Amino acid sequence: MKKFLSLLLTLALVLSLAACGGNGGSDAGTTTPPPADSGSGDAQTPPPAEDVTITVAALASGYEEAYPGMWQEVCDAFTAETGVKVNLICDKNLEDVIGPSMQGGDFPDVIHLATGREKGLTEQFIKDRNIAELTDVLSMTIPGESVKVSDKIVGGFTETSVTNPYGDGVTYLAPMFYSPCGLFYNAGLFEEKGWTVPTTWDEMWELGDKAHAEDPNLYLFTYPTTGYFDTFIPSLLYSAGGVDFYNKALRYDEGVWDTPEAQQFFDITAKLASYTNPITPAQANDQDFTQNQQLILDNKALFMPNGTWVVAEMADAPRADGFKWGMTPLPAAGTGARVSYCWLEQAWIPAAAPHLDAAKQFVAFLYSDAACAIFAKGSAIQPVPGLTDNLEGDNKLFYSVYDNGAEAAMGGFAAYGSVPGLGTVREEFQDPFNGLVNGSLSKEDWVANVKEASDQMRANLIG
Amino acid sequence: MRSSKSRGRFMILCLAPAVILYFVFMILPTLNVFRMSLFERGAYSPTETFVGMENFKVLMGDTKFITAMQNTILLIVTVTIITFFFAIVFAAILTREKIKGQNFFRIVFYIPNILSVVVIAGIFSAIYKPENGMLNSILSFLKGETVMVLWKDQPMVIVSVIIAMVWQAIGYYMVMYMASMSAVPESLYESAGLDGAGRLTQFFQLTLPLIWTNIRTTLTFFIISTINMAFLFVKAMVAKGMADVGLSFMYAQKDAGLYGYSMAAGVVIFLFSFLLSALVNWVTRREVLEM
Repeated sequence: MKKFLSLLLTLALVLSLAACGGNGGSDAGTTTPPPADSGSGDAQTPPPAEDVTITVAALASGYEEAYPGMWQEVCDAFTAETGVKVNLICDKNLEDVIGPSMQGGDFPDVIHLATGREKGLTEQFIKDRNIAELTDVLSMTIPGESVKVSDKIVGGFTETSVTNPYGDGVTYLAPMFYSPCGLFYNAGLFEEKGWTVPTTWDEMWELGDKAHAEDPNLYLFTYPTTGYFDTFIPSLLYSAGGVDFYNKALRYDEGVWDTPEAQQFFDITAKLASYTNPITPAQANDQDFTQNQQLILDNKALFMPNGTWVVAEMADAPRADGFKWGMTPLPAAGTGARVSYCWLEQAWIPAAAPHLDAAKQFVAFLYSDAACAIFAKGSAIQPVPGLTDNLEGDNKLFYSVYDNGAEAAMGGFAAYGSVPGLGTVREEFQDPFNGLVNGSLSKEDWVANVKEASDQMRANLIG
Repeated sequence: MRSSKSRGRFMILCLAPAVILYFVFMILPTLNVFRMSLFERGAYSPTETFVGMENFKVLMGDTKFITAMQNTILLIVTVTIITFFFAIVFAAILTREKIKGQNFFRIVFYIPNILSVVVIAGIFSAIYKPENGMLNSILSFLKGETVMVLWKDQPMVIVSVIIAMVWQAIGYYMVMYMASMSAVPESLYESAGLDGAGRLTQFFQLTLPLIWTNIRTTLTFFIISTINMAFLFVKAMVAKGMADVGLSFMYAQKDAGLYGYSMAAGVVIFLFSFLLSALVNWVTRREVLEM
C-alpha cells in the first residue's frame, strides 16, 4: 500500500512538472478564442479563416504613447473586416516579451519592430534569413478595399535596404511609419539673435564660434545618445559623396573609406566632436539622454540629431522663454545636397509564423484607409499618399522638409553575418563618437577602426 | 530493518521535488550553456553549427572581452574591499558603542538594499548630474568655484559605478555582521578590558576573530553577487561601451546574433567566479575559534 502511495506521489510530481514544461506549447492549441459577435457569424457562411487567431507583436513606441490603444484599434478593425482574430502583444520592451518564447520556437505571426534597436532583434532575423518574403503581399488587394498594396505605398519605399535587406530586389520588410530626421534646434533663439540656420558646414562652424563667444555655456552640438547617429551618419555620407558613394559606403565597398568624400566625412565628424557640449557623453546613456535633449531646450546647445518624436517626448520639460522647435536637414557637404534622413520602421513576418496567410492579410490591411487613419491619430505616418496633408503644428513643419528641397536618404548599413570579435554597426560606427568628444579616442585611431571593421563586414556580407 | 527502509523511502520522497526542480532548472541549463558554447547560431535561428573550441580561441583574443573582464575584476576587488571595510566598521560602532538613534542608522544603511537597481540608477543620475547635480554642487560649494566633474564619462565612470555599488551593498552586510557581533558575549570584552586591552585591540583580537566564519561566508557570497550586480549597475547607469563588464559583453554578443559566442563568454565567467570563490575560501581559511 505504502509503495503504491509513494509511486502515486512521484507520478503526480513528475506529471505536474511535465505540465509545467509543456505549458508554452499546449497553450496555443487549447486556447479557444472568445466567440465573435454571433450576429455577423450567422449572416454568412464563415470562411475557414474565421477560426484562425494570429498573434501580432508590436512595439509600443512614442506613437502608441501619444494615442494609447492605437494598435488594439487596428487589430479590432482587422477582425471586423476579415473575421480573423488577433491576439495583440504590445510592449515597450517587446524584445524581452517575445524573445524567450521565440527562442523556444514559438513565433508571432506579425512583428512590428524596426531595425536599429539596441537589442537588434530584427537584424538577427535578417542575418539568419528568417523572414518571410512579402512579394505576394505587395500584389495583394487590401482587405475591404479594391486597391493593391503596392499601389498604395509611395514609390521608392519598397526599394530601400531596410525593406529589401539582401539587395536582390525582393521585399522582406514592410515599410511602416516614417519620420524625417535632421538637426533639431530652438527656432525661437535663432529669431531672437537674428541668426540664420546654416546651410553649409563652414557656416555651421562660424555660427558655433560666434555663439560660444557670446555665451560660454552655449555649444554648437549635442546628441541624446550615440544611437541617434544612425540617422546622422547616413545623411552626412549622402551629403558628402552623393548617392553612388552613399550606396558604396553602406555596402562597405573596398577602398570606400580612402576616398576624398570619406575623408570629408571623417573631418566633419571629428570637428563636430570638438564643437559638442562636453557634458554630452556623461549623459549619453539610456538613463539620462533626456538631459542632453534638455540642453537644446535650455539654450546650452544649438543642434541635435533627432526625430519628430522628440516634440512629444519633451512636451512636459521646462524650456527657455520663447522656445520653438525647428528642424533642418544637415548642412550641405561636398555635393551641396542638403539631406534629411528618412527614418523608417518595419513590420515583418517571421518565416516560421504559424499562420502565414492570415499574417500576410494583416500586413496588407495595415495599408487600408481605416488602419492609416487610426495610426495617424497617434501621428504615426505611413508612406501612403495624402497622409501628411492632415498634419498639424510642428509635425506639419517637419514632414514638409522634403517639399522644401531636402533630399531623402533612406536605408542603412547592409546586413552582414555575425563574426565573433566584430561589433554591430552601432558599436563600430556610432559608439566611438563618445570617445571623440571626451578625448579618449583620437581621430586617426577612429578612422583606422572604421576601416578595419568595414573590411570584416564586407567579407561577411549577406546576399 | 523495515522501518529504516521506509524511512529511506520517505526521505527520498521528501527530497525528490527539490532535487528534480534543481536538476531541471539549474543543472540542465548550466550543462546547456557548456554545450552551446561549442556551437555557433543566432538566438532565434533553428540551425546551429559545431565549431569546437573556436569560440574560446577568438574570445581570448577579443580586446573588448579582455577590457570587460578587467573592469569586472577591478569592480570585484575595489567594491569588496571598500564595502567590507565600511560594513565591519559601522557594524562594530553600532553594536559596541552607545550611540543615539542606533536603530535609525541601521534602517538608513539598510534601505538602499531593498531598492531596485533601476531606482538606484535614478537616484545616482540626480547625484551625478554634471550641471546642478548633488555631488558637483557640494564640491562647488566646498571649493568656492564651479566644479564640473563628468561623473559618468571617462575616466570617472568606473568610480561612479563603484560608489553606487558600495552604497547599495553596505547596509546588508552591516546588518549581517551586527547580528554575529552581538552574539559575542559581553563578558569577554569585560575581561579583555580588565587585562588592559583598548577598544582597537578588542576589535582586532576579539571581534574580528570571533566573526571570522561569518566574514568568510559573506565574502564568497559577495564576490559572486558582485559579478551580477556590476552588470545591472553598468547596464542601468552608464552608456554602452563606457564601462562594460563581463556579463554586459555576454549580452551584447547575444544581441549581435552570436549566441554560441556569448555562451562561451558565459562559460568563462562561470568558471572565473567559481575559481575565484574557491580561491577566496582557501586564502581566508583560519582555525575556527569557539566562544
